[in-house]
Amino acid sequence: MEDEITPHPIKITINQDPDQNDKHCSSILTRLHAGYFRITLSLGAQALLWKTLVEHTHESLALQRVLRTLPSTVILLLWWLSLFTQLTLSLLYLLRCVRHFRMVKAEFSHYVGVNYLFAPWISWLLLLQSAPSVVPKIISYRIIWVFILPVVVLDVKIYGQWFTTEKRLLSIFANPTSQISVIGNLAGAWAAAEMGWRESAVCMFTLGATHYLVVLITLYQRLSGSCRIPARLRPVYFLFVAAPSMGSLAWNSISGSFDTSCKMLFFFSLFLFTSLFIVNKECTTIVAWWAYSFPVSFLALASAEYAQQVKGVVAPGLMLVLSVLSILVFLCLMMFTAFNTNLLFRENDPNFNKSLGNTIH
Amino acid sequence: MESSEHLGLSNQDSPEVVPSLIKFIDSNEVVGFDSDEDKNLENQYQTGFHSLTPSATETETAAVHSQSGHSHQRTCSISISMPSSPLEVHEQNSKRVLFRDHDEQIFNNRIAHSYVPSTNGGTKQAKFLSAPIPAGSAFDEAVALGLFPNRPVLPPKNPRIERLKDTRFDSFKTWSGKFEKQLSHLRGKPRETGPDANSPRKVEVETLPVDRYFDALEGPELDTLRPSHYVEKLGHFCFHKVPAYKPGCKPHPVVHSCCSIVAIVFVIYMLKVIFYFEAVRREYYHPIRINFFFAPWIALLFLAIGVPPSVAQNLHAALWYILMTPIFCLELKIYGQWMSGGQRRLSKVANPSNHLSIVGNFVGALLGASMGLKEGPIFFFAVGLAHYTVLFVTLYQRLPTNETLPKELHPVFFLFVAAPSVASMAWAKIQGSFDYGSRIAFFIALFLYFSLAVRVNFFRGFRFSLAWWAYTFPMTGAAIATIKYSNEVPNIVTKSLSVILCVIATLTVTSLLGTTILHALVLRDLFPNDIAIAISDKRPKTTRKWFHRRTVSSDKDIENYLKFSVSDGNDIEASLAPPSSITTTSIQNSGTAGTHSNQSPSGPEP
Repeated sequence: MEDEITPHPIKITINQDPDQNDKHCSSILTRLHAGYFRITLSLGAQALLWKTLVEHTHESLALQRVLRTLPSTVILLLWWLSLFTQLTLSLLYLLRCVRHFRMVKAEFSHYVGVNYLFAPWISWLLLLQSAPSVVPKIISYRIIWVFILPVVVLDVKIYGQWFTTEKRLLSIFANPTSQISVIGNLAGAWAAAEMGWRESAVCMFTLGATHYLVVLITLYQRLSGSCRIPARLRPVYFLFVAAPSMGSLAWNSISGSFDTSCKMLFFFSLFLFTSLFIVNKECTTIVAWWAYSFPVSFLALASAEYAQQVKGVVAPGLMLVLSVLSILVFLCLMMFTAFNTNLLFRENDPNFNKSLGNTIH
Repeated sequence: MESSEHLGLSNQDSPEVVPSLIKFIDSNEVVGFDSDEDKNLENQYQTGFHSLTPSATETETAAVHSQSGHSHQRTCSISISMPSSPLEVHEQNSKRVLFRDHDEQIFNNRIAHSYVPSTNGGTKQAKFLSAPIPAGSAFDEAVALGLFPNRPVLPPKNPRIERLKDTRFDSFKTWSGKFEKQLSHLRGKPRETGPDANSPRKVEVETLPVDRYFDALEGPELDTLRPSHYVEKLGHFCFHKVPAYKPGCKPHPVVHSCCSIVAIVFVIYMLKVIFYFEAVRREYYHPIRINFFFAPWIALLFLAIGVPPSVAQNLHAALWYILMTPIFCLELKIYGQWMSGGQRRLSKVANPSNHLSIVGNFVGALLGASMGLKEGPIFFFAVGLAHYTVLFVTLYQRLPTNETLPKELHPVFFLFVAAPSVASMAWAKIQGSFDYGSRIAFFIALFLYFSLAVRVNFFRGFRFSLAWWAYTFPMTGAAIATIKYSNEVPNIVTKSLSVILCVIATLTVTSLLGTTILHALVLRDLFPNDIAIAISDKRPKTTRKWFHRRTVSSDKDIENYLKFSVSDGNDIEASLAPPSSITTTSIQNSGTAGTHSNQSPSGPEP
């Protein structure tokens, strides 16, 4: 801080960062928050969807016609893009932890921000699962634990707080982003099942399913004392769609086939999607828009699995519709973000910076 | 119709005195009071309102104060005495007042408000208001449309009564009555002048926030159960079909009667939709009545399930899709509202009648599985199960933000039994056998049945009303599930249980049927006016109080409940503003005056 005192009007200039470059980096770091991982989450989900669709194409001729336009190079490109984005964001977030640890702490204390702390790990898990054959399986085998363990640790911390301490009463602090923690558990279960570890998969699935029940009921009740999500963050309601889809995918991997429970979870998320689709309207920040993409991708993935199990006309048709929708949403978001990158870090996320700002300064 | 209406009238001489509950008024006192032969009360209305304001120790009868100075014009209004709380009042008063006014000079666009004389007998009591029932053409029309389907066709109007067109129902009519005028114009009838000059103020056609309903209404919407009793009837028919296979009795008469009932009610309600769309719209926004929009489709589903096997083979799968489409659309809307709608959140509006919106899913799954469909039934079962879990937990929690259900609506608690029993049947059909999932659901249903059945006092102490039909459908569903279970696990316990439950269900339905007919035709106290939806979107600025005088002896047991609350608790005893302050010209406002609720916590738990 430098104070410049002149004889005539006293002008006090406070210069926080003498270095302008530093200031720029710092402002990015200050504005970054875990919610930005929604982007990588969507990228990863999209890559996985394309990979799954291409795999299923072998079974369905109709699909082949449609998906012939997706050459494998595009899929590879998408995967590398998501990996790159994920690495960048992770690095930036690491820097933020180092330089602005108080802000990270504040994020952890915030009732919405804490849920987004699951997002990076889910993105990594999705990336690993959608890894093309270029990446050897053996690496995934070991690395996956690196990503599942933080989920469990966060679980213990957050879920424990729900039912023991007075700090985070669920009846007050439950909000749709609480489902991200559930999605984290279910994604861990799915990844573990894909790797072949059945018991761990069932364990993670149980954690996710139990807490999903609690969160779902609490959210549906919309208790009068509960915190409200600002209307501008409506995309978080699409998380209602993501959680059961992820559950259906996880159980599909665990049980080996798309049985009745998977179907029920898939239908439930389809129903929620339909009802939200009708109601949902607005959002403001670009990052919030990315919250539309991955739930639809999850739903499309689940429908792909469903179509694999149930032959006929309706199921593949549903898969087509949902996949196309998901791809379209994703492409629109990509283009919009690409043309408006300046807005990416400049905006004030209404739910984060305002309330976080109060706690920090 | 005028002869059959119950109208309150009063010529209050001493406004300061609260009229006693039972007041015998000589007919000579009342100008224009009709002769004795008209005293047969053909309509006794029950409104499904019930005040939950606590601490009132006596009910008061409200009467309408006639207004005009120069002519004997009286509003036709119903006087409704309201117990202040279900328990207290019941002990004190089971007599309610019915009265009518046979002088059919109706205040055309004015509803005279009477004021309850303010006496503070040391107790702060909620005054209970009545809302006027518009007499005259609108009511006749309503009867003709069959709003009261069990009523016999009433004799033509008394010619000496001037047939003033009652415009108070206009806001409920489609396009606010213009439709009707168009029709009558088309038919060449001369336009009725005079009263029409004072066209009723158009009610704002807008969504009422649910708060308004909870403000204005509490208590048993006894008239909301009107469509539902057809559900129970058909449920019972379905039940009769199951044992009918064995003894070999012919189900056809039952089929035909149920089909005809459904058809009749459908036609009637369609007519109501056409002519009184606003009323239907308001029903849609009512937090309890909206659940009953599922009832017709559930009834049709049950009919389809219960058709004779010879017909069942020919039922096309398309029928299932046709029947499930309205249920699906309604569900999208209602569950979406629970999750992210404005005011209609579950923590506020949850009540046992919400089970009706869930049961439809299971019944649809049952029918679909019976027809051989695979994915569709699982879809609806999944949706129903998820939302049932949510609703079940919410109702068990009895959140403080939920309104306590008044005593008169306790029969709807039996709907708790309906959902799991139908779900168990549906799951058995989907899976092909009565497996563990079905058994779990069945045992839940059985437990709830028993735990409700032993609570005798919970279901005692209130008079008969249409809400009692809420017993039949769950009992029947449980009986059918028990039969299926005993087929799977045949031993002495299950078989005797199934027989007992069947007998109970059959007895309940028959006795209810008999009592309903008795009350509808003989006692004529069954069908209330639709005051439940007659609330406006604005509270009146002044507190209006009603009182009426009893004009008939109180032998009839009529319990009319009307929710009343004062906007300011202090002036509960205050005298009402003079009638000139009344600006409302529609039934809504008059109904509103009597139907605002205090937001104080409800009274003692039943």
